[in-house]
Amino acid sequence: MTRRMIIAALALVGLYVAMYLWLFKLGLVGSLACKVGGCEQVNTSPYAVLLGRPVAFWGVAYYVAMFVAALLGTAERFVADRRFAVVLVVLTGWGVLFSAWLTWLELAVIHAVCMYCVISAVIVVIMFVLAMLELRADRATPA
Amino acid sequence: MSKKNPSKKQFTVLLIAIAVIGAGALGWVITRPKGGGEVIDPNMPLGTAQGFLMGSPDAPVKIVEFADFECPACSEFATLTEPDLRERLIKTGMVSMQFFVFPLPMHKNTWPASNAAYCAGEQGKFWEMHDRLFYTQDLWNGLATSSPDKKMKGYAKDISLDVSKFEACFDSKKHYPDIKASGAEAERFGVSATPTLIIGGKRYFENLSYDFIKKLVDDEIAKLGKADTAGKRAK
Repeated sequence: MTRRMIIAALALVGLYVAMYLWLFKLGLVGSLACKVGGCEQVNTSPYAVLLGRPVAFWGVAYYVAMFVAALLGTAERFVADRRFAVVLVVLTGWGVLFSAWLTWLELAVIHAVCMYCVISAVIVVIMFVLAMLELRADRATPA
Repeated sequence: MSKKNPSKKQFTVLLIAIAVIGAGALGWVITRPKGGGEVIDPNMPLGTAQGFLMGSPDAPVKIVEFADFECPACSEFATLTEPDLRERLIKTGMVSMQFFVFPLPMHKNTWPASNAAYCAGEQGKFWEMHDRLFYTQDLWNGLATSSPDKKMKGYAKDISLDVSKFEACFDSKKHYPDIKASGAEAERFGVSATPTLIIGGKRYFENLSYDFIKKLVDDEIAKLGKADTAGKRAK
């Protein structure tokens, strides 16, 4: 499988994680299944809302964008398109920065860690590394 | 570059597997029996948004708290910060605190807990039940039990309430409209997270430390002092 395919698969996993947290915010799943860390404390904190919407909602939107971009990048006609490699680096880079900010909030401000947020952060970091490798490989390939 | 001979079929199978497992898991968490989670009638009429007051009504600084009995951060605030707040600021007459319940939709047992606090309030022991609920939150919350009523009735006995009166009140759910009104009051104040404190007309969503609250209270008292002096000069 190509790196873009792995990124698309990871984005789909991340999408479900974000959807679970979003459904929690909507009150549809009851308490979070979270035996490790303080998922509820993080997700009911004021920092779980951004621009009037739950952070989990933005997570869903982000992973949808990631999934679509990576999936399109695997299409035959775009496989050689370098612009997709750049888009994936930009999107995953943004994701890493955002996850870093959220992790800092958890550790330094909320003083609780949500394991789903950690899973999401790990997914984003792996996607970023793959996207960087893809871009580097693309640069190394003669046109 | 990694685009040579991609295994499209393998990729498609992987995506389908993730999609099916993910959708199945989400479907299960949405449809699983929620145990003690009560279905609250959305058409229930609003009662009275009654805040529970601690301290002197004439205290110079008034703190309003919106909290959910099942919210872990509220429990942390009640058990770690509030003892100092009560001892050093409320008992000394500097501050009064008014508590409004704000039941959040994701918490299964928050309504019975709020109900228990209101019914204890009828017998003048709201704060005793408040403390009991927050200190033992992990024993009755939605993760611990799907039948919290028994726990609540046990707490009534623990804090020496008239248990038969408490049970009559608790089982009748007569305070549910008031609890709903209290939540509506929180929304009117633009509260979206718990605990939220309002001090000196400003909303604070964070789980504030005692030192920070003390500073805010001191600032408020200093402002009141200045206003008082200015008023006397004007006379």
